[in-house]
Order: sequence, then structure tokens, then C-alpha cells
Amino acid sequence: MSSPCRVRAERLLALLLAAAVLAGCEREKRHIGPSGPEAAPVIQTTPFVPGGAQPLPKDPRAEFYENNAFEVAQGARLFRWYNCSGCHSNGGGGMGPALIDDQWIYGSEIEQIYGTIQQGRPNGMPSFRDKATEEQIWQLAAYVRSLAGKNSQVASSRSDAMAGIPPRNQASPADAGKETPPKRLR
Amino acid sequence: MSQSALHPAADQATRLLGLWDLMLWVCAGMYVLVIAFLAWAIWRRRRAAYLIEPEVMVSDPGLERALGGWAVLIVVGLIVLTTASFLTDRALATPGERPLKIKVTGQQWWWRVEYQDGPVERWVETANEIRLPLGRPAEIELASDDVIHSFWIPNLAGKTDLIPGRTNRMAITPRRAGRFRGQCAEFCGFQHAHMALDVTVEPEAAFEAWRARQLAPAAAPADPQRAYGQQVFQAKACAMCHAIAGTQAGSRNGPDLTHVASRRTLAAGALPYSKGALAGWIANPQALKPGTNMPAVRLSADEQAALVAYLDGLK
Amino acid sequence: MPHGRVFHRPQKGDGVQPRVRTTARSIAGLLGALALVIASSATARADEDGQWTMPAKNYASTRYSALNQITPANVASLRPEFTFSTGTTKGIEAAPLVVGATMYVVTPYPNYLFALDLTKPGAPLKWRYAPRPVPASQGVACCDVVNRGAVFWRGKVIFNTLDGQTVAVNADTGKEVWRTRLGDINKGETITMAPLVVKGKVLVGNSGGEMGVRGWITALNADTGAVAWKAFNTGPDRDVLIGPDFKPFYASDRGQDLGARTWPGEAWKIGGGTVWGWISYDPELDLIYYGTGNPGPWNPDQRPGDNKWTAGIFARDPDTGKARWFYQFTPHDQHDYDAINENVLLDLPIGGKARKVIVRPERNGYLYVIDRASGEVLSADPFVHVNSSEGVDLKTGRLIPTKAKEPKLGKVVRDICPSANGAKDWMPSAWSPRTRLLYLPATNMCMDVQTAEANYIAGTPYVGAEVRMYAGPGGHRGLFMAWDPARRKKVWEVQEDLPVWSGALTTGGDVVFYGTMDGWFKALDARTGKLLWSFKTSSGIISQPVSYRGPDGRQYVAVLSGVGGWAGVVVSADLDPRDPTAALGFVGATGDLKQKTTPGGTLYVFALPRAR
Repeated sequence: MSSPCRVRAERLLALLLAAAVLAGCEREKRHIGPSGPEAAPVIQTTPFVPGGAQPLPKDPRAEFYENNAFEVAQGARLFRWYNCSGCHSNGGGGMGPALIDDQWIYGSEIEQIYGTIQQGRPNGMPSFRDKATEEQIWQLAAYVRSLAGKNSQVASSRSDAMAGIPPRNQASPADAGKETPPKRLR
Repeated sequence: MSQSALHPAADQATRLLGLWDLMLWVCAGMYVLVIAFLAWAIWRRRRAAYLIEPEVMVSDPGLERALGGWAVLIVVGLIVLTTASFLTDRALATPGERPLKIKVTGQQWWWRVEYQDGPVERWVETANEIRLPLGRPAEIELASDDVIHSFWIPNLAGKTDLIPGRTNRMAITPRRAGRFRGQCAEFCGFQHAHMALDVTVEPEAAFEAWRARQLAPAAAPADPQRAYGQQVFQAKACAMCHAIAGTQAGSRNGPDLTHVASRRTLAAGALPYSKGALAGWIANPQALKPGTNMPAVRLSADEQAALVAYLDGLK
Repeated sequence: MPHGRVFHRPQKGDGVQPRVRTTARSIAGLLGALALVIASSATARADEDGQWTMPAKNYASTRYSALNQITPANVASLRPEFTFSTGTTKGIEAAPLVVGATMYVVTPYPNYLFALDLTKPGAPLKWRYAPRPVPASQGVACCDVVNRGAVFWRGKVIFNTLDGQTVAVNADTGKEVWRTRLGDINKGETITMAPLVVKGKVLVGNSGGEMGVRGWITALNADTGAVAWKAFNTGPDRDVLIGPDFKPFYASDRGQDLGARTWPGEAWKIGGGTVWGWISYDPELDLIYYGTGNPGPWNPDQRPGDNKWTAGIFARDPDTGKARWFYQFTPHDQHDYDAINENVLLDLPIGGKARKVIVRPERNGYLYVIDRASGEVLSADPFVHVNSSEGVDLKTGRLIPTKAKEPKLGKVVRDICPSANGAKDWMPSAWSPRTRLLYLPATNMCMDVQTAEANYIAGTPYVGAEVRMYAGPGGHRGLFMAWDPARRKKVWEVQEDLPVWSGALTTGGDVVFYGTMDGWFKALDARTGKLLWSFKTSSGIISQPVSYRGPDGRQYVAVLSGVGGWAGVVVSADLDPRDPTAALGFVGATGDLKQKTTPGGTLYVFALPRAR
């Protein structure tokens, strides 16, 4: 025996589940085809503005790239292809600063990261304007944010290389350098 | 262009076809026997005694002989097949004299082909095409940079997988000149179907002439438009993925384009080479090969025309 | 030898500096003075001018000062005399120079040059010079933005800037005399090495072996900065300045255009072979000696062949640059074993004969003794744990690589020793003619390597390998040892927890100095290796200590403290130690360094207490 109220709740639950499933599809959806109109987002590298705090302008495209696992994975591929990993390693840095930590010299918003990749920065970051397509820069920016665990929707990055190392951003900062001297890994 | 394991053009494919034929005839013979025996069994009615006292065994020497013979036949058949298969395998694994060393690396979704023959200064790199001298054995080293692929030129040899972190080897001794199609035979993503190889078997002299042409760096642009095209290539995203010997472009994400216009196909066999096809491919790769890692790079009409003219000049 | 100006040397106790006040200090000072008298009377050296005009001290690169006031008996009372902040926070690898009564300190990027007046108490700043290198050069410097020092030549201090310029500055006024642009950062070229002046020519080489540059060495006119000659280390013979005079000892180095023919296609154009290390000069044979860096990319599959003339040593005529001989330590290098280490020129008794040799502790783990006239390898002995090769065939001169340790595309090859930084990186060793021992700083590390296709995109890294380093057998990452090159064996060694990334200094008092990455500056007994004295500086030490005679006649020891370099970039560039592949894999081994030291830049100058 079921009350009408219970039936409604069940239907609601089913609806919610369906919505969740659909949302999951969206997260994995692969966008294939020509990229959209080329227009760089409005970027400022600092939230500090004279005349009182202002929210940073958001770009409408940002969310799509940031919350889509396929786009983030494409970013991971490009991170190697375009030699980003040569300087930033697997996020720990080297010639360039670390990307898996919580320090962001030129801002941590995806639009700001886009700007850093596209424009370059004076202390050694080259400009990828014209060297990467708009879409690729978005993918890279989304991946860079995922390195630091900044994306809430898609899985954290995991380097396929060097088997046996846990995902970088799942290691606790406190763990780093605990092995003194480091153990030999066989 | 041929793509058929039934028309072998190399020793390896011939041996495989021989094995295949043997297996076909042995298995066909066995099959006919089984079916005949079955038919006979159905045709022959059951004897009444079985119906009354099933536990009583009635001696039937004819049937016993037949079954014994059948067992012997199976054993012999299996031994013949195993031996033949073993001998074929041995023959496939034996490299020939003076092998031509070629390294093939599978990538999503194209083939990198490196001729690693002779002194290193004479090594040659190309993509999506293999030329083989008639009669000279080729030793092909197979590697992968991303996922598992499988190398298969049905007319020349069987399949061998390309596995990341592992080096596989196979030998091909071509015996008949011609043009053959190779294909990735292990599902490797979106454009697995468009991961083809253009294979040519030609007389050794023709092969050496081809190799000499491939060895030369790209020709300097002959006219101002092509010179501009070269600049576009270097200034835009092209140079981030492709290499052209003789220029600053040296990236290995995508195929080497030093002699792209001398190839007969574009985008790993996705379309036959022509200047128009090249223009279309550059303008919108995603329309021709959805999911390919080549992006549509935004270019003005002038830039596009110059770039196509430049690349088309890379014979 | 460069001609330093003659200067007035005040007498002992001239009162230039304030008198020592505490009783303890005066007693120590008294002891020091006593020891001084005893020591100096025993071994006074006529050829010791008490200066330090080039990072290696002399053309033979011995880093030996004959000053002998500081001895094992009195070194325990060594104390800081003055300090000076460089205002930088990057790794300091340079040696301070002392010419006359002035000390010159060159810093990492932004490559400030400071002149300190040693005649005044506390050595105040005399002048400063800022060359203003392009900031973007920081993005193409592979392993921190270091500078390995300046050189003094006839009234000029000459040094290189990170963005590829050589600058000469008037040593008295600090005014720029000339500057010459040599490197192009858009191609990934930087300059980090210390120049050497030989017969009026400034010898400079480029850095950028991880960026697909083509290595070269060039000679500039020391008065004008004009390029006199330039020799590439890859490519056809005319680019390498190989002519009829070129007579390498081993057959494998003879042949036409080997610098191009031992590479596939045009790979030599982006094949590395940079000159970011040390140059020595033998005035008798009139030859310069320098090593060439690793071939690029690290992924060896992309450059089959011997990859000449990388990872080897060249002997050249300093006037024309023409090559005389070459020897390749690591043909077809697979593990980033640059061959840029110091060449210590010695006369050693070998097989009963006195031979003119180069002693070379090499990155691939062997200590080579090479005839410096012919290029013949006389001996090559491993000085740390080595498994990447099985030895050196003395008949052919070839290193025998271990098959199992060869990198393979897409495969993780584990436990390769030594790691990419080698058994001993750039940090120079010191030779004492008194003990006849070579004092060498070394590392004890191994690595896992996975190679991948490297993409040449000008101005970006061209490596194609993912590396993770860790401590070698025993767990200690650093070593400091004394090696007898004539008897081909280790005499003593000190194990250090952290990699030893500082140079060594030895003196006529039989004391050896070096620094550790956690900031300890140590003095050891040159004969026994016993720790005699140590001092904790503000940051880690990766620089080259020097010793000089001050205007007051006392012996001083100076060292720059400022952690960084490839080993310490995790601290100086604030990398994230959770990624062991960071900084080309070095962070895997030194991830704990952030807990042990902080960035900084301070000059420390030590002396024995002043005699009453």
C-alpha cells in the first residue's frame, strides 16, 4: 500500500537520478568539430581594484571547459605536446613555477590562467598566442586548474607516466620530503 | 591498391596463406567427416534391444573400429596443424639476409616510419607510407607512443601489435611489386578506421632513388608566396606539432612533413593527396577526420593559400 | 696569469680593523699568530700572490691557495670577519674574486656585480654594476638561474649574463667597458659559465643543453669584446674548427665531418654539446681544454650514433680555436652525462714516468687520467657506485654501456646509477700539491627514467625523458672524498646526507673547505678527512670557496651562501616536492630540502682572530 505522497517522492527520486545520469553524460561529453568564435576572455591578473572590490568578470565558455573531463584530458595531452611539462614537470615545476601548489602569481581563475598562457609573462613564461588555438588554450587552462585540484566536477589529473607514483595532487603537502634520506625504490 | 591476405606478395604472407590453406583443407575434411557420421547416425535407426535394456552393451566391432580410427585421425590432424603452425612461426621469425631496418611507431591516428638502415646520417623519416625494395627482407621494429595499435599489411604479412613500452619485431620479404594498403588492426580510438598505411613494393633501384629524395632536406621556398607560407607554418600552431627538415620546425607530435607532397595519401590514408585535399584538410580537419588531434588553425585566406602552396611544394 | 695591480699591504696589526676585545678571542688569536709564524717559516711560497683572480684560482684549475696561516691546529678558531648580503634569493655558484684590495662578487640572475673594499673595516661596498639581463631569460635556464663567476683581466672584471651577453666592467670604477651579445634566448640559449681569459682572449661558451641549442665556445678580444673565433661542438668540420692539426688519439674520433655524420639527419643542429663548465689552459703546450655538454634530447632513440662532439673533451689552440684532439667520455650519451667538469692539469708520475695529464672526475662516474698532449686515456676508475656502464675499454677509449640500463620509449628503466646529474656535477674539485690528493665533492644518487618523444619547439625544453632521482646505496646523497690519482684510489671519504653541490678549496695549511646544502661550511684535515671546524651559514652552500691574503696580511676564507642550482632549485624556485619528477627529476631526491634550508644570498668571510 503506497500513499500518493510516497509515489510522488519515488518519482522525484527517479527524476533526480535521471538528471544526475544526464549530467554525468555532459561531464564526459566529447566536443568534436570546429571550435567556436575566437575571442579572448577579458582578463585581469589581480582581484585588487581601486574603488573597492569587484568580482572578476567570468567568461561564459570557462565552465564548459573546466567541467568536462574530455577537455581536461585534451589539456593533459597538450601539456606534454607543447612542452609545458618540460618546465612545469608533472606540476611540481622546474624552469617554471609549480602548478600543483596553492600559489598563483598571475591568478588562479581559469580566465587568468588562459591569459597567462596566451599572453606569456615577463619572467620566462612564453606567449602561446597563435601557437595554440583558442580551444587548446582553454583545454590547457582547464588541465592546469585540475592539477591543483581546483576543478570540482572532473576527476583529478593522473599522470600515466612513471608508474607507481600516486596522483600528484592527492599526496599531502605534509608527506613531501618525509623520507629523509629518500628510500631507494626498486 | 590491394588489401587482401589471399593475394600474397611477400614470403611471410605466402607462408601464412599456405598455413591457412592447409588448415582450411584439414578442417574442411574433418568437418565433412563429422557431418557424414552424424547423418549416418541419424539415418540408422536404433535397435530394439537398446530400447528394452539400455544397460546391456551390444558389441559392434564396426563402430568401435570407426571410433578408434576417428581418434587417430584427430590426433594426426592436430599434429599436422601444430607442426605446420610451428614451422610457419619459425619461418616468420627468421630474419633474412641483409635486412632493411625500419622502425614503425603507432600514434593516434597515424604511423611514424623511420628507415634505420646503414649509417645514421642516411636514416630517413616519413609517415604513413612504407616503400620496400623487391626481394630484400625488411626487419620492422614496432613501437607505440600512446595506446596499443596493430600493424597489418594483409598482402605482405600477418598482424603484430604495437605495445607502449615494448618493442616487437617482424620480417617482410616482398616478392611482388605493387601498391598495398596497410591498416591498424587493433581498435585504438576515434579514428582507428582511418589509420592506414600506403605500402609500395618496388625494384631496389626505384627504392634507392626514393630514399635519396627523402634524405634531402625540404627545398627552400621557390617563390614569395611559398616563402610567406613557410613563415606562416613557423609562426602558427603548425610548427608546434610538425617537423620539416631544413627549417626550424622540429616537433614530433604529428607526422614529419618534409616531403609531404610526395606522398599519395593525406591524414593516414583518409584521403588521396591533392592540393585541394590538402587545403580542405588544413581548413577543417575535424570535418574530414572527426576527433583527430589536428586542430583547425585560424588563418586568413592569404595565409591559408600561402601555406598550402608551401606544403604542396614539399615534394 | 692576469696581471693584478700591486697594492700596499699594511703590516700586521695596522689597526685597519677594530681590535679584538674579548679575552677568549685574544687567546685564540695569540694561538693563531703562533701557528702562523711556525707555518709560514716552514713553507713560504714565492709564487703565491694571495689573490684569487679566476674561479679556478689558476690556469691548471687546482683551486689551491698556498696561503698557510690556517692550519689543522688553528682552524677551529676561525670566525666570521664580515658578511655581505647580495640581495638575491637564487642559487649562488660563483666564486668571489679578490684582486688587490678589492673583492668582486657576481650574483645569479639579475647578475649584479659588487665590488667590496677590503681595506676598510667590514669591507664596505665600493661600487655596484647591474647589467640588466632580459627577465624572460629566467624561463630558459634549465636548472636555476645561476652564474659560476667572473674573471679578472688587466683592470677589467669580465662575466656573463644569463641572457647570453659577456660584459667587461672597469675594475676600479664599475663602469661598463664593453658588452657583446652572444646567445639568443629565443633559441633557448643562456650563459651561466665563468669565462676564462687566455692570451688576451675571453673564452665563453653557451648553456641550454636541455633546450635544443647547438653548443659552441667562442673567444672575444678582451679589450674590445669583438669575436675572434667561434667553434661549434656539433656539425661539419669547418664549423667545429677541425683542420689538419686535429689528431685525436682514438680511431673512432678520426674521419670527415663526424660532428654531422654521427647524427641522423639534421639532429646535430639542435644536438647540444654546450660549454657551461670549466676551461683550463696549459701555457707550455699552449692548449685550452674544455668539456662539452650532453647531446640533446635526453631521449637517446632520437639521435642514434655517437653524437660527436658532445660529452667529450676538446683541446684547442687558444689563438685560432683550431681543435688539436678530442676524446669522448660518453659516446651516444643516454643519461645526461654532460662532460663539462673541471680539467685539473697536473704532472703525475705514471708507470714510473712523469706525465703531463688532465685529471678529470667525470659525470659518468669515472675518474679519468688523460695525457694532455695526446688525449690518451691512461686510467679511468669509478669513484662512486656505477651501474650504467661496465667500465672503460682502455684500448679503444670507449665507455661500455650496460644494456639493461638503456632507456626505452614508454618504459620505466629503474635504478640507473649515477643519476642524470652524474657522480659529480659542475662543482669543481681541488688539488693540493702538498698532499698530492684531489678533493672532490660528489653525489651518490640513482634514478628511474622513462623516455618519450621530445618535440623541438625553439625556446622550450627539448628533453623527452621523465626522471625521478633518489639516494644511491647507503642512503647518503652526498660524498666528499680525497682521491689519489697516481695510485688510482680513494684515500678517505666523508658521507653527507644531502648532495654536496659546492666546490672544494684546499690551502697550503693542509685544510680543505667545502659547504653543504643545509648551510654548513666545513673545514677538514686534508690528510685524514677529519672534521676540524664548521660554521652554519644562513642558507645552503653551493658556491666555490676561495682563500686570499687580505690587505692586513692575514689569510681569509670566503664563501657565498645561497641555496639553489639544479639540486637546490626546489628551495630557490619554491617547487612542489610532491612531484618527484620536478626539476628534471632532482626534486625526487631533494624533496626534504625545504625543511632544511631557505633561499638567501650572503657572502661570508672568515679569518683567524687578529694577533695582538
